[in-house]
Amino acid sequence: MKKRLLILAFTLLAGLFPLRGQNLSDLRITEVLVENVSGIVDEKGEHSPWVELTNNSQGTVNFAGCYLTDNPAEPKKYMIPKGVLANRLGARQVTLLRPDFPILRGTTLYLISTDGKTVIDSIEIPADLPADMSVRKVARDNKKMDFKTDSLPADPTPGAMNTEGIIESGSERMARTDPYGLILTITSVSVVFGALFILLIIFTISGNSFSGKYRMRRRKAKAAKVAGSADAETAAAIAMALSMEGGEDEAAAIAMALDLYLSGSAHDSESYILTIAGRPSAWSNKELMKRKYPR
Amino acid sequence: MGEIFDSLQQFWQFTGFANCGWGNLAMILIGIAFITMGIVKEWEPLLLVPIGFGMIIGNIPMFPGLNIGIYEDGSVLNTLYQGVKQGWYPPLIFLGIGAMTDFSALISQPRLILIGAAAQMGIFGAYLLALAFGFTPNEAGAIGIIGGADGPTAIFLSSKLAPDLMGAIAVSAYSYMALVPVIQRPIMLLLTTKKERLIEMPKPRQVSQKEKIIFPIVGFLMTAFIVPSGLPLLGMLFFGNLLKESGVTKRLANTASGPMIDVVTTLIGVTVGASTQADKFLTGKSLLIFGLGLLSFVIATASGVLFVKLINLFTKNKINPLIGNAGVSAVPDSARVSEVVGRESNPSNHLLMNAMAPNVAGVIGSAVAAGILLGFLG
Repeated sequence: MKKRLLILAFTLLAGLFPLRGQNLSDLRITEVLVENVSGIVDEKGEHSPWVELTNNSQGTVNFAGCYLTDNPAEPKKYMIPKGVLANRLGARQVTLLRPDFPILRGTTLYLISTDGKTVIDSIEIPADLPADMSVRKVARDNKKMDFKTDSLPADPTPGAMNTEGIIESGSERMARTDPYGLILTITSVSVVFGALFILLIIFTISGNSFSGKYRMRRRKAKAAKVAGSADAETAAAIAMALSMEGGEDEAAAIAMALDLYLSGSAHDSESYILTIAGRPSAWSNKELMKRKYPR
Repeated sequence: MGEIFDSLQQFWQFTGFANCGWGNLAMILIGIAFITMGIVKEWEPLLLVPIGFGMIIGNIPMFPGLNIGIYEDGSVLNTLYQGVKQGWYPPLIFLGIGAMTDFSALISQPRLILIGAAAQMGIFGAYLLALAFGFTPNEAGAIGIIGGADGPTAIFLSSKLAPDLMGAIAVSAYSYMALVPVIQRPIMLLLTTKKERLIEMPKPRQVSQKEKIIFPIVGFLMTAFIVPSGLPLLGMLFFGNLLKESGVTKRLANTASGPMIDVVTTLIGVTVGASTQADKFLTGKSLLIFGLGLLSFVIATASGVLFVKLINLFTKNKINPLIGNAGVSAVPDSARVSEVVGRESNPSNHLLMNAMAPNVAGVIGSAVAAGILLGFLG
């Protein structure tokens, strides 16, 4: 039983690992300003270009050690400094980065993971992007935050979530994507059945463990194994004895008796219930014990 | 004299008689019908009596602006109504239900859990029908949950998805829950043969205390990880059950299953009833909701019964299809219907304990279904 519980615990833990979810892959490059003429200034007071990152998850992400590059052949072009508190980005929050290389129009800007290989996100910089205008990705649905690049350059909104006020509720989304409700119905029924099926499995296993079914099964298997070996040995002994002495009738009688004994048919099954059956007699008949004429 | 007459006339304008419309009278009559059903027929009296009286309270005609109506900010009724509107009451009721429910029937016969899932088809059947009738997806989801046969879940979900329809949905859910014996019996008889109704099921095994303690923890972890949006209902349900089964929190379990659930049930009943003001309630939509609610109960019952018949095709140990109706979560009324209809065919066949398994599985199933709908449509 302990083994089973351990397996169950491991399965649960294994199931939980993919749920950690809140990681670097949830980061998005949501806005880039290439030529900053009159926009916001950096800590040195200069109008430098900037890149906006959004944490698209529900948890904090530490993006220190990630890279920005405009050249896939040189993925580690600019490393986001480590040990900076500002590099921990809270859920659905936005931050600005100022890479130390010039961002050129007509290129693609990549956000590379800390391993220096995995591309987390990218954004194409239009060749005709005017000064003081940004290229950005906008979330159509502020719940799912599925960012799509805007086709037209926009007025920059550094540090603000790019949702453009377009808020689509779950109901509106379902009306658009599943007007007849079939997808939701099939999904929901599957989930309800799935959830209760998992409970079924768990409580079948635990129920069998607690009720001692597994223990009984093991014992039975063990007993069958022992009985099986005894059968084989006995059969061999009988075969030898019969071949050495005795007639055919004698052999058949011995074999049948042994078969009945080994198969358990020679024994009656005991109910283990003791009963004292009352036999009617003059001594136990209550009517006869009563006085005919009460005093 | 003239001034007295004027002030009397002014007073008349404040009275209910001057402001009364046919809608108010109709709703008051419905309220009285609810109270009568609760008292005379004893159909869900703990719910129908407060809801019925709430209907009367909510439909007393009054001069607007007195700040006493349920929809007027800051009024007493409005403050109490926040528990419904914001969804505080349903999880508290689930806490009490958890503290009252004995899940041993389910733990001892896990194979019956799936009947609780099959009966949730009522929810999604009504959802599809509501969409076909032109309701928006969130309204359809809120209407569909009537098929879960679970009042608190219906209120919880409709308060989140379609607050405007909440009164009609809650009243519809509670009315049909009260009418479970009337609705389910003919469907059960129609879908089963005499031979099937005679199937006897073994008595559930004794469940150890350890199993009862493990159940709410594992059950909660599994269901909440799958449907986190059902957290308020599932969390409270399993927490209440842990209080009951742990054996060391008897006082908390007693409070949750006694005074607390009584207080919340009273408040939820009165305020839901009072929210059915004629001008908001007596609409074509409400009538449609009542019709769809009835259909959802029919689909749920039929799905449960047919699902058992389907299982019987593949298993050696046959299940009596009369417990299929108990998959809807009207605890314990639908299980009682299984027992009664079962005994009509075979007076020595007691199905109550077996029917309790799908019945409590239905509570979990409807909370999971509500979580899914909230996740998709919220």
